[in-house]
Amino acid sequence: MGRLTDKYCIAGVGETSYSKNSGKTTRAMGAEAIRNAMRDAGLSADQVNGVLSYHGGDSTAGPEIAADLGIRPDFYMDCSGGGSSTEALVGLAIGAIEVGMCETVAIFRSMNGYSEVRIGGTGRRAATPVAGSQLLSRPYGMVSAGQNFAPVFMRHMMEYGTASAQVAAVKVAHSKHASNNPKAYYRKRYTVEDVLNSRWICKPLHLLDCCVETDNATALIVTSAERAADLRRRPVYVMGVVGRVTKKRGDTFYNDAPITDVAGKYAAERVFGMAGVGPEDVHVTGSYDAFTFTTMLQLEDYGFCRKGEGGDYVSSGIIELGGRRPNNTSGGHLCEGYTHGMSMVIENVRQLRGQADDSCPGWQDGVHTHDYAEGGCRQVREAEISMNLGWANPVTGSALILRR
Amino acid sequence: MPQVEYRGMLLMVPENDSEFGGYFEAAREHRLVVKKCAGCGLLRFPPGSGCPWCTSLDWTWQEVSGKGAIYSYEIIAHAIQPGFRDLTPYPVIIVELDEQRGAPTPQDGLRLIANLVDAQFQPEAEANVAIGKRVDVVFQDLSPDLSLPQFRLTDEPPAGPVWQFPG
Repeated sequence: MGRLTDKYCIAGVGETSYSKNSGKTTRAMGAEAIRNAMRDAGLSADQVNGVLSYHGGDSTAGPEIAADLGIRPDFYMDCSGGGSSTEALVGLAIGAIEVGMCETVAIFRSMNGYSEVRIGGTGRRAATPVAGSQLLSRPYGMVSAGQNFAPVFMRHMMEYGTASAQVAAVKVAHSKHASNNPKAYYRKRYTVEDVLNSRWICKPLHLLDCCVETDNATALIVTSAERAADLRRRPVYVMGVVGRVTKKRGDTFYNDAPITDVAGKYAAERVFGMAGVGPEDVHVTGSYDAFTFTTMLQLEDYGFCRKGEGGDYVSSGIIELGGRRPNNTSGGHLCEGYTHGMSMVIENVRQLRGQADDSCPGWQDGVHTHDYAEGGCRQVREAEISMNLGWANPVTGSALILRR
Repeated sequence: MPQVEYRGMLLMVPENDSEFGGYFEAAREHRLVVKKCAGCGLLRFPPGSGCPWCTSLDWTWQEVSGKGAIYSYEIIAHAIQPGFRDLTPYPVIIVELDEQRGAPTPQDGLRLIANLVDAQFQPEAEANVAIGKRVDVVFQDLSPDLSLPQFRLTDEPPAGPVWQFPG
């Protein structure tokens, strides 16, 4: 028995559509996503009294969105941050409920990540003066996430012999999954050759090693198992959660060597210990696939394979639907849409319910063909335990283990 | 307050910048400095406010040789900032300085980001960029009061194996 056993759960999930031009405010999208999650759970506005969110100065604060839905928060926080926030906020929501600050928490992320504020530091962000520690990178033309992480990927290739063709298999797998996800932004299947033949962004990253940028909002509802017992959906229980675990030098990606080790190496023992399970017990994973490489690095440091063997692991077929432990069955950030991590938690909740929203006519009732051909099913057989690997950057990460 | 418009960005060093003020003052004089802890004597970079090994908040600036080796790199083909488009493809490198390499633990070192540039401060050719190659600091004067540390290849033989991205 872990300390969280049967105590807290995710009772509802929801999102908006994925686009490159939502034509809506982050306020409108946030309200839509939370409303979808409330309806999924079967909750009315007066039954939700906590609101948590995360942003990078690019979203709408919780109280405004709560007001649009008639929610009166007994607790809200809008945290600064992108990737790795979702899992951390699930933990904070549990803490808030545990001490009695509130009973049921909606967690949302709303972003016009393509049409309004892109991640790479262009547009509004480019107009900000460059000072302080940013002077160490931006004047050298090192701005975007890909540019900031690429030297870590390069060093991994040197230290372990990792090849571009191996990590390209991550895009192949996730695009296979997205082709069975009607709501994915990109539903085309790609081959290793497609990735290797796509144009260079920053070596060693090709275009197709990088995720899509989209406009969207996503939401989760966290509550106690007791509260969830009579709600609409089968609850998905939280077994273990860790948030924003950080390497010794959280200020840079190149000081705490080996720089090819990521924060997961510190998070793994804590989260698996809390859950009372190990990597071999996990049926489906959700990695933060901002890039093909980030999936590989996380799977290594959480112990799904040995350090340095991530290239072999991700190109072995294990991470594909039909493989031993599929990863990002919705298509993830590489194909479905970019949400700063929430969408992969939503997908795992649906997998554990047996209700992946694929093209199977009976998916709402949990009836699936398990035929993973293009345009078909994406439900993993007998998925009982899932794990999400949240990533802010190489030095900071979160994790969440769920069970049906 | 030193500030300059550079490739579409406003770079500035505020008067109260106790982390980077002295670093860029030295760079203007074409000297590379790091912080030296007054408590334990260890050097550190980036120049944070306290010592990560002994927590002392007292420090002095210490000039270093500027010699080191490429620890990792990338070649940027697609510039994010429009001001960098005419430089593509350009290398961004992590340099590990010779001073205090492998101390206080074998994995530690003084590492910083820069561009690998040629004699005209243009991007070094990709074919010449590799992990392990020896480099030396040079200073790119952006204005009379702001200079950027950059690095150039030297003729010194590498101390260990050299590795280049195969493709």
